[in-house]
Amino acid sequence: MKNLDPERARWIKIRMGMLCGLMGLGLGGIVSGAYHVQVDDGDEWFELAERQRQRRLHIQPKRGTIYDRNGAPLAESVEVPSVSLDAVEMLRGIDPKYLPMKIQQYSARVAEALNMPVEDVADKLTRRRRFAWLKRRVSEDEVQKVRELSDRTQRYPLAGLTIEGEGHRFYPNRELAGPLLGFVSPDGDGREGLELSLEHELKGHASEVHGLRDRAGRLLFSEGVEDEQALAGHNVYLTIDKGIQFTAERELEAAMKTYEAIGGSIVAVDPATGEILAMASSPGYNPNDYGAADPDARRNRAVADRFEPGSSMKVFMMASALAAKSVDPNATIYAENGTMAIDNVVIHDTHVSKWLTPTQCLSISSNICAAKIALGLGESRLYEGLRRFGFGDQSGIPFPGESAGVLRPRGRPWVQVETANAAYGQGISVTTLQLAMAMSAVANNGRLLEPLLVKRVNDGTGVTLSEASPHIRRDVVPAATAQLVSEMLVSVTEGEGTGVEAAIPGFRVAGKTGTAQKIDPTTGKYTDAHYIASFVGFVPVEKPRITIAVVLDEPVGGTHAGGSVSAPVFRRVGEMALRYLGVMPRGSVPMKLADLSKKAEAGDTAANTYQVMGEAKVAAAPAAGVVTPSAPMRAGEARVPDFAGWPAREAVKAAMGLGLTPTVEGTGRLTHQEPPAGAVLPKGAAVKLVFEPST
Amino acid sequence: MSWPRRSPTPPRAPAASTNNRVVPKASSVPPPADGEGAALPRATPVVSALLASSPSGPVDSVLAATVIALIGFGVIMVYSASAVEATVRHHDAQFFLKRQAIYAIVSVIGMWLVSRIDYAKYRKLTYPIMAVVTAMLVFVVVGFGHRAGNAFRWIAVGPVHIQPAEVAKLGIVLWLAYSLSKKADKIKSFYIGFVPHLLVVGFFAVLLLKQPDFGSAVVLLILTFTLLFVAGARVHYIGAFTTLAALGAVFLVRFSEYRFKRYLAFMDMENNRNDIAYQPFQSVMSFGSGGFSGLGLGRGLQVLYLPEAHTDFISAIIGEELGFLGILGLSAAYMLIVSRGVKIALEAQDDYGSYLAFGISTLFGVQSLTNLAVAMAIFPTKGLTLPFLSYGGSSLLVNAMAAGILLSISRPRTATADLGSNERPKRAAPSASALVATSADEGAAGGAGW
Repeated sequence: MKNLDPERARWIKIRMGMLCGLMGLGLGGIVSGAYHVQVDDGDEWFELAERQRQRRLHIQPKRGTIYDRNGAPLAESVEVPSVSLDAVEMLRGIDPKYLPMKIQQYSARVAEALNMPVEDVADKLTRRRRFAWLKRRVSEDEVQKVRELSDRTQRYPLAGLTIEGEGHRFYPNRELAGPLLGFVSPDGDGREGLELSLEHELKGHASEVHGLRDRAGRLLFSEGVEDEQALAGHNVYLTIDKGIQFTAERELEAAMKTYEAIGGSIVAVDPATGEILAMASSPGYNPNDYGAADPDARRNRAVADRFEPGSSMKVFMMASALAAKSVDPNATIYAENGTMAIDNVVIHDTHVSKWLTPTQCLSISSNICAAKIALGLGESRLYEGLRRFGFGDQSGIPFPGESAGVLRPRGRPWVQVETANAAYGQGISVTTLQLAMAMSAVANNGRLLEPLLVKRVNDGTGVTLSEASPHIRRDVVPAATAQLVSEMLVSVTEGEGTGVEAAIPGFRVAGKTGTAQKIDPTTGKYTDAHYIASFVGFVPVEKPRITIAVVLDEPVGGTHAGGSVSAPVFRRVGEMALRYLGVMPRGSVPMKLADLSKKAEAGDTAANTYQVMGEAKVAAAPAAGVVTPSAPMRAGEARVPDFAGWPAREAVKAAMGLGLTPTVEGTGRLTHQEPPAGAVLPKGAAVKLVFEPST
Repeated sequence: MSWPRRSPTPPRAPAASTNNRVVPKASSVPPPADGEGAALPRATPVVSALLASSPSGPVDSVLAATVIALIGFGVIMVYSASAVEATVRHHDAQFFLKRQAIYAIVSVIGMWLVSRIDYAKYRKLTYPIMAVVTAMLVFVVVGFGHRAGNAFRWIAVGPVHIQPAEVAKLGIVLWLAYSLSKKADKIKSFYIGFVPHLLVVGFFAVLLLKQPDFGSAVVLLILTFTLLFVAGARVHYIGAFTTLAALGAVFLVRFSEYRFKRYLAFMDMENNRNDIAYQPFQSVMSFGSGGFSGLGLGRGLQVLYLPEAHTDFISAIIGEELGFLGILGLSAAYMLIVSRGVKIALEAQDDYGSYLAFGISTLFGVQSLTNLAVAMAIFPTKGLTLPFLSYGGSSLLVNAMAAGILLSISRPRTATADLGSNERPKRAAPSASALVATSADEGAAGGAGW
């Protein structure tokens, strides 16, 4: 500034110096601010940023499938698209002036695409959240519309709409075993039944992974990406046999309709292993649509409901007495001509008789005779005996809400009349499952087993993690006693027995009827109007393969006796089940397929079942094209599906999935198959698939 | 000159010394045939005329080196901050890197060219430059601007987007320096010295507010008051008008719903962190999570959340990736630039050069301080770039050219070709050697080749 006079130049420099000082102060402020933000509070900011990035992702691993014992799916998970909204992203860069207008406009477009109320969308947009579900479980059509809305090539694309796959539980057989399976909440938690009790297995373990998300919510990557299969829940194979379950439900349903019962249940058990082959509860419901179901229908009555069993209990009383040798199997007992007073109570027999053997006592179901034997056995030994058969105790079945039943409702030893009542199943309560398990103990040489529902658990990759094996709870009675009682019980289904309706041609059936009066809840007394009719038995007696307990609640119309209401159900289910299990009638040659089909034409229900099941399967097949393997005819057999028009890869995969050995000719789509669709083949048999390129 | 000066010491780096110790030559002689000079297009007569009488004394190499280093550093940081955004939006992680690298090269060449122009020639160009700037601002405001977000701040010329506000800042400094030096002592008068400047700057500020670009308008006013103060305008005028301007700003904020909301959200960031205050909140989060030494270059993760991380908020990313140390280094670099600029202002030949140098230094200083303050949410979001670092061609080029002017002023002058009638003592040579010595002594960034 040599052009200026020195005085002025000096002042200019002084002023510049002052401003520099100001800037220096500013810089000092910035540096100290940076120190404060970065060094003092740095850790907190880092934490905050970390939390924002590592938004914890509840990645729902694919929930495991529930199969029946032969590999037919009962519950499976399919991916269903859901639409979520990032409101901040959608409204980014809009002038606040136009915001209300734009929100209206956008909501209208989104609402139209998703068929939902405009106000709902507007509400979610106004809240300006970074994530909100707009609509879960959208249809293909809606997905397409949302894609169009956010398509960037069109004129006014909408940002912030995301389509995500969400696991949705699907029950391909609809009502089949509904109360047993339970259902899953929209969030993927098992809520009832096996879905609840097997939650741990089905849900999978690594249910949370850390992921990094950007501001648009896109998942960038996750730390230590794990194999999706390893994340997936385990697959559970139940001991249930879909075929027997189907029959049991169908027959129970029929009986419910015929007798206008308010409820019913069937439990079928393999007495040698304790595996539950079928567990039906009626009325049932469709877990695909659990929201619409009556909570009453969702209850698994076979496990959750307890009732007074009536005469069925005589079996276990008798077994206990015989084991305790308090009664001789060849003794004769005076039946008091049909009426006997104990203390101030008079008990009656339906069949008036004088002298009865223990066998007759069971076959004609004499209360007086049973009371006398029970009193001979004594209160404590009877109570102990029934406890040993598993009554009054939970069976250990992996099912939520199991009732234990009550033996001593007043919490004290029975008085004399109560002991007598207990002998024929009054004043105590049991569950259908307990009846079936106790009867299985009789069938299984006196060994009480734990009921099994889960046969096998596989992880997502097919490796077996656990396999159930029979578990003996206790030896209830000596084998000889059990066999003796079994033989006695055959008389129930023969000759003058009360359960002749349960007899299966060609087999010796052991069983016991039960007809219990219900207590009127208003008066607290037994009524003559409401009964519980039951039948529990096993077949064949020589080598029991199946135990079935049938219980019907309040049958009306003509008859209410267990022998006439429940015994026929036992017979029909048993007959079918024996065929399923491949048990041949005594002295008969194996039935030929041709005979079976003839019988089917003649309207034989048992033979028809396959047909009916096939139809049911078609009806239940999901619209979305989920492939459900065809139900095997029997263990080790498979029905050849119609492969016509299938691509080679899928046909081969499906055939192998059924256990068949495909031989492939040509490429393209299937034009010919041998044997034709519908043929039943043993597993491992060859199927010839001929493909031709489509034109 | 009262500025303390080091005594000339033998330079330690021989390479720097041989390059820097250029013997002053007559200014009328064109530069020796170094490759760049020869390759220059001689297309425009203006350029050749400007260069014809370039002073050839050595420039302030510390300043030049610091600026080039910052520009290079900026290219790296832009890449780090923009890779994700570039991949998502353009499917090319290097999208912004490539462009910024080209801008950087163009800017450095531009700076070199400008540094060779005798700054005195800008006096004659003042009004043409002002006319162009005014035209550009009006062009944007009347609706031909290119929109980004809610603001019309750009002029699109093919693929190049020019931001007139950046040009206006330099233009206003050029004009003020010219006007203030011309008015000399009359600056003290209200109507001659004060009002005309305020009217012109006020007009520019209104145009900028229309865009809207609140931050740039404030920077213009600060520049004006600074230079008026330096030139000796009466302090109570400045005080009164600063108060008025502040009131005006408060009024603007309070009665513009959009700005007031932003302000409220800024004051209560915690509760508005998901919408209106999203950007400042993310910025502090980013800045703070760097801690003392940072997460490491390229390891910053906040780029995923911070919109415009590579432009206005690049300092937040620097804070995150390089930590407090990085910010300290950055502040030191800006301090160096500004102090060298002020030194140039103090040692300038004439008052015009002095005002020019001081104005440019203030421009750098205010912009970088404001930008850092915004990144730490000390100030609300302003939309101001970080000089030499932020992504953007016009900002980088204008700032580099401003630095070029500074360098030009820093050249010692042995001959005065057309500086008017004033006769000057020829005292430049010792000053230049002192500068060179200082630069070699400080060894800042090698001081190569300038």
